[in-house]
Amino acid sequence: MTELFGFWWEWLPTLLSGLQLSLAVTAVALLFGIPLGLILALGVQSKRAVWHVLSLFIIETGRGAPALILLQFTYFGLPSAGIALSSFVSASLALAWCTGAYTSEIIRAGLDAVPHGQKEAAAAIGLTDWDALYFVILPLALRVSVPPLFGFAILMLQASSLCFAIALPELVSQAYVIGSNTFQYMQILLLAGLLYAVICIPATIAVAALEARLGRHTD
Amino acid sequence: MMLEILQSIASGIPLSIALTIVAFVSGAVLGMPLCGMRASNAQPVRVLSGALVLTLRSIPPIVWLFFIFFGLGADFIQISPFEAAALGLGLITAANMAEIYRGALTAIHPGQWEAAAALNLPPLYRFVDVIGPQLFRIALPSGATYAIGLLKDTAIASTIGVPEIAFEAYHTSQRTFHSLDVYAVAGLFYILISLSLAALTRWADVKLRARVAR
Amino acid sequence: MSDSTAIRRGEPLLRLAAVHKRFGTHEVLSGIDLRVSAGEVVAIIGPSGSGKSTLLRCINQLEPPTEGRVLLGGVAVEAGQELSRAELTQLRRSVGMVFQSFNLFPHLTVLRNVSLAQERVIGRSRKEADAVSMQLLSRVGLADKAQQYPGRCSGGQQQRIAIARALALDPKLMLFDEPTSALDPELGLEVLAVMRELAENGMTMIVVTHEMHFAESVSDRVIVMADGRIIEEGPSAEVMRNPKTERAKRFLQAVNDR
Repeated sequence: MTELFGFWWEWLPTLLSGLQLSLAVTAVALLFGIPLGLILALGVQSKRAVWHVLSLFIIETGRGAPALILLQFTYFGLPSAGIALSSFVSASLALAWCTGAYTSEIIRAGLDAVPHGQKEAAAAIGLTDWDALYFVILPLALRVSVPPLFGFAILMLQASSLCFAIALPELVSQAYVIGSNTFQYMQILLLAGLLYAVICIPATIAVAALEARLGRHTD
Repeated sequence: MMLEILQSIASGIPLSIALTIVAFVSGAVLGMPLCGMRASNAQPVRVLSGALVLTLRSIPPIVWLFFIFFGLGADFIQISPFEAAALGLGLITAANMAEIYRGALTAIHPGQWEAAAALNLPPLYRFVDVIGPQLFRIALPSGATYAIGLLKDTAIASTIGVPEIAFEAYHTSQRTFHSLDVYAVAGLFYILISLSLAALTRWADVKLRARVAR
Repeated sequence: MSDSTAIRRGEPLLRLAAVHKRFGTHEVLSGIDLRVSAGEVVAIIGPSGSGKSTLLRCINQLEPPTEGRVLLGGVAVEAGQELSRAELTQLRRSVGMVFQSFNLFPHLTVLRNVSLAQERVIGRSRKEADAVSMQLLSRVGLADKAQQYPGRCSGGQQQRIAIARALALDPKLMLFDEPTSALDPELGLEVLAVMRELAENGMTMIVVTHEMHFAESVSDRVIVMADGRIIEEGPSAEVMRNPKTERAKRFLQAVNDR
């Protein structure tokens, strides 16, 4: 047992630096992906055919293709079209694409949950469509969307582990490299798993509590 | 050239589908006792199963697959990439299906349990004849959505060398240097399989509803 | 704020000409003709599904009519005409609307509910808008609720706040869509009192209502609708006591028997 802890202690800093990168790429993906999700949610409802089709295309590809394929598409694929990106940028791009596609559905559900009377009242007092969206509809929609968005953020941290496949030295890549150098795969993967669990388990419990609390106060 | 790319990626389709089916079926079955434990009257059982579900869901699939394939596989047991992937994804599926069953259970009107009990049906038959069929129908849409997600997760098996779609795509791209087309095609294959799976579910759902309506 | 088209009491304010509204193949309004003068209070009664609410929504274009024409304060809107943003804003400014289910914005304070449109639609400063809002809230007797959220107010209070919100842009015409139907009778009374005060001060009002007493005592004119048409119309006391058409008789009989 002490041997295991000694091994962990030795490699923990390396894994933590990997975890830091995992968190960074997740944060960037969410930072760009969630606004993209909002734009896509509005785009799908647009009466302009171009916006509608374009939004639908981004959503369906982002949700339909595995995140791993999106990552490889941006990292290995785009260079053959003359666009070479670093593994961090391609990872951010692919995961933001994925985030936009999934969160557009979450946000759309929130928009749909806003009672029709609120939209009518906003129109009746003369607000423009944009003002109605900004001051009335979005704040109400986000109340519904925030818990599932947090839930999605947890999934995204997990999905960032796929960046292993494009040589981004995040948590799993670090663990894998240590494993192949020391042949102690099991021990190091256990520690990597623990690090994910330490973040994701409390976060999952917190999101469930938030959901329950907001669910009580729906008016 | 394009034809060659198509062919070589398509050669991964059977294993992607097979892995999805094996993981889903074993997970759907294992999920039942797990869901039962989650609803148990004994607190230790409830807490333990809850912790198991949380842990399985909180650690990324790739970590589970590596742990099983490189960790267990190196030191303890002989395990093929496919078996490791099926085991890992099956366990994760079990945790998720247990949650889906649990959601479906709460959606069944309490009157149904009371009615089944009032009829003096033995507990097993209460489940098999009254609750089970309703549970299945309620869980079907979320189960199908999960299965489609699982299909996409099988791409992760490429990292431990299961020659499915993503694996074939990677090697085709290394060989042909047409990476953009290769990954676009691979993505398209996943989308097409997902769409067929979704269509199949809708068909099954309509059938099931029709049977109830009759 | 300039109001070049100030309208004096008794002058024509609203005119609907042959207004039809169809949802798909279902015709909800089948040729409505209606004139309302400034300062007039018109009650619209009739069985549910007769098109009363849709009629109100056609006036402020929440539901654009399928056919016909709506003239409000000298501005005509033909069915099918695409209104510019400015025209629509002008129209919505001059028409206030109060809904059956209040539709206050639950995430904004009472004050903000009343102020929002003043700032965004007519460009009042926050300070000015808040001052006007406080006056309006005092007028409906709820100045003390300004900093609360609507969810903390009773239904009657919410509806009075909704009236204050609708008054905030100085409308020429107020539309009320069954304003007391969602309220307990006692809470309904406080709303009716506010509406009575508005009527006495010369506000032009069209009120869809089931409150027969209100229709008779406050409104100048009663309109009875059935199946998307106006089947009877006239001075309140006359229509309520001696309806001429069989259909109107039946409806009023049924209401009185309750």
